[in-house]
Amino acid sequence: MSSPHQSSSSVEHHVAHHFKDGEHEFLTAKQGMWLFLLQEVLFFSPLFVGYFIFRHMYYHDFHVAAQQLDWVMGAVNTVILISSSFTMARAVSNAQKGKREETVEALLFTILFAFGFLVVKYLEYSHKIHAGTLPGHFFHDAELLKAAPHAPLFFTFYFAMTGLHAIHVIGGIGILIWILMRARRGEFGPKYFTPVELTGLYWHFVDLVWIYLFPLLYLVG
Amino acid sequence: MGSHNDSNEHKPHDHILSNKLGLKVLIALLILTVITIIASRIDFGALNFPIAMLIASVKALMVVLIFMGLKYDDNENRVIFFSSFVFVAIFILLTAADIFTRGDFQVKGNFLMQAQSSTKFKKPWISSPEILAHGKKIYTEQCVICHGANGFGDGVAAAALNPKPRNFHEDAGWKNGRSASRIFGTLLTGLGSMPSFKETLPSSDDRWAVTQYILTLDPTKPLDDTEADLKKVGFDPAKGDYGKDEAADVVKRKIPIDFAIDRYLGK
Repeated sequence: MSSPHQSSSSVEHHVAHHFKDGEHEFLTAKQGMWLFLLQEVLFFSPLFVGYFIFRHMYYHDFHVAAQQLDWVMGAVNTVILISSSFTMARAVSNAQKGKREETVEALLFTILFAFGFLVVKYLEYSHKIHAGTLPGHFFHDAELLKAAPHAPLFFTFYFAMTGLHAIHVIGGIGILIWILMRARRGEFGPKYFTPVELTGLYWHFVDLVWIYLFPLLYLVG
Repeated sequence: MGSHNDSNEHKPHDHILSNKLGLKVLIALLILTVITIIASRIDFGALNFPIAMLIASVKALMVVLIFMGLKYDDNENRVIFFSSFVFVAIFILLTAADIFTRGDFQVKGNFLMQAQSSTKFKKPWISSPEILAHGKKIYTEQCVICHGANGFGDGVAAAALNPKPRNFHEDAGWKNGRSASRIFGTLLTGLGSMPSFKETLPSSDDRWAVTQYILTLDPTKPLDDTEADLKKVGFDPAKGDYGKDEAADVVKRKIPIDFAIDRYLGK
C-alpha cells in the first residue's frame, strides 16, 4: 500500500463508505459518466437526424443557406476546441501525476479556450441577428428567402444545434472553474483525481459534437 | 476481496496519457481539420458529404479512444458509449425508411390526400365495363349515403336534407341537365344540398366513372353529349383520348411533413 505522503494532495479525499476502496469509487463514477455521455449522444441525435432528413429534402435551399455561414469562423472555433481538448487531457494527466501547478495551468488554458470559443460564437450570432438569417418566422432576409424558400429551416437547425452545443460549453466553463479552484486547494493527486477525469470526459464530448457540427453546417451544408 | 491489489495487470485507474501521445493526437486533429476544409473546397459531387463525415469520424474516434481514454478503459464502458451510436443508426434508418417511402401526396388548400392512382380511362365520357365497375365502387363509397343504393334518392342521410337528393329514376326537375357532361359538371359545382366533389374526387376519371354509373341507374337512355357539351366541361374529344385531368392541377408534394411545415409557417 502506498503511504499518504507520496500523494501531493494537501486535502485528503475520503472514499464514500459504500465503496470498497478508492479505485472502486473511481471506476463507478467513471462508468456513471459514460452512461451520462451515452444519454448525451441520444440527446443531440434528434437534431442530427432532423438535419439529415431536411438537408436531403431541401438540398438546394440548405446549400444556399449554408453559404451564409463563415467557414473561417467555424474553422477557428474548431482549432480552439481541439486545443482545449488537448489542454484538458494535460490537466487530467498532471492531476494523476500529482502536479498541482501544472494541473491548474492546464485547466486555466482550457477555460480561456472555452471563452475564446464563445467570443467567436458571439460574433457569428450577432452577425446573423443583424442580417436577419434567423430561425423560422424570425427570418427576414427577403433576398435569401427568394433564392431559398426553406432557408429559415436551415437556420432553425443552425441555431438549435450550435445553441445547444454553446449551452454545453457555458456549463463546461462553470464546471472547469469549480475544478480549477479545487485543484488550487490541492484536492487532487494520484489517489484521487475523479472530478478532473470526469470533467475531462465531458469536455472531450463537447469537442466531439463540434467535430461533427463544423463540417455538417459550415462545409458541406 | 483485495485481489486487485496483488495483480500486476494494467488497470484503467493507472493509465496516464503521455505528453508525447497527447501532442501527436493534437497535431493529427489539426491536420485532419485542414484536410476536411480543403476537401470541402473541391467538388467531389455526392461524395463531399461522406468524405466530410468520414474525416469527422476519424477525428472523433481519436478523441474518444485517446483523449477520453476509451482505448485503455474496460469493455463495459466501451459497450456503453458505442451502443449509443447503434441507437442513433436505428433512429436514422427507421426515420429515413418512413419518410422516403411514403409516396406521392397531394396538397390542396387545407386538404392532404394520398395521390389517387389515375386509372387513365381512354375517352372517359364513353361508357365501358371497366369504367362502370370503377364508378360503382366510388358511388358506393361516396353517393349511397344520400342517393341510396339504387339511386332513388333514399339514402340514410336523405331524411335530413332539403332540397331532397336527386332520384335518378325521376324525369322531372334536372336543373343542370341530364346528359353525361351535365352530371359530370354538377359533380364539380355541386347543386342544392349537394357539395362540390372537386376536392373529394380530384381525378376527372373518378368523376367520369361515377357519372357513367349514375346513368346506368336510370332506365331512360340519356341524350348523347355533343362535342360542344364536352368542351363546356373542359374536354375536347378532338384533342386527345384522355382530356384534362383536374388532379394534374393539384400541387404534388412528396412528403406530408412539408405540408405540416408550410401550415406551421402560415403559408
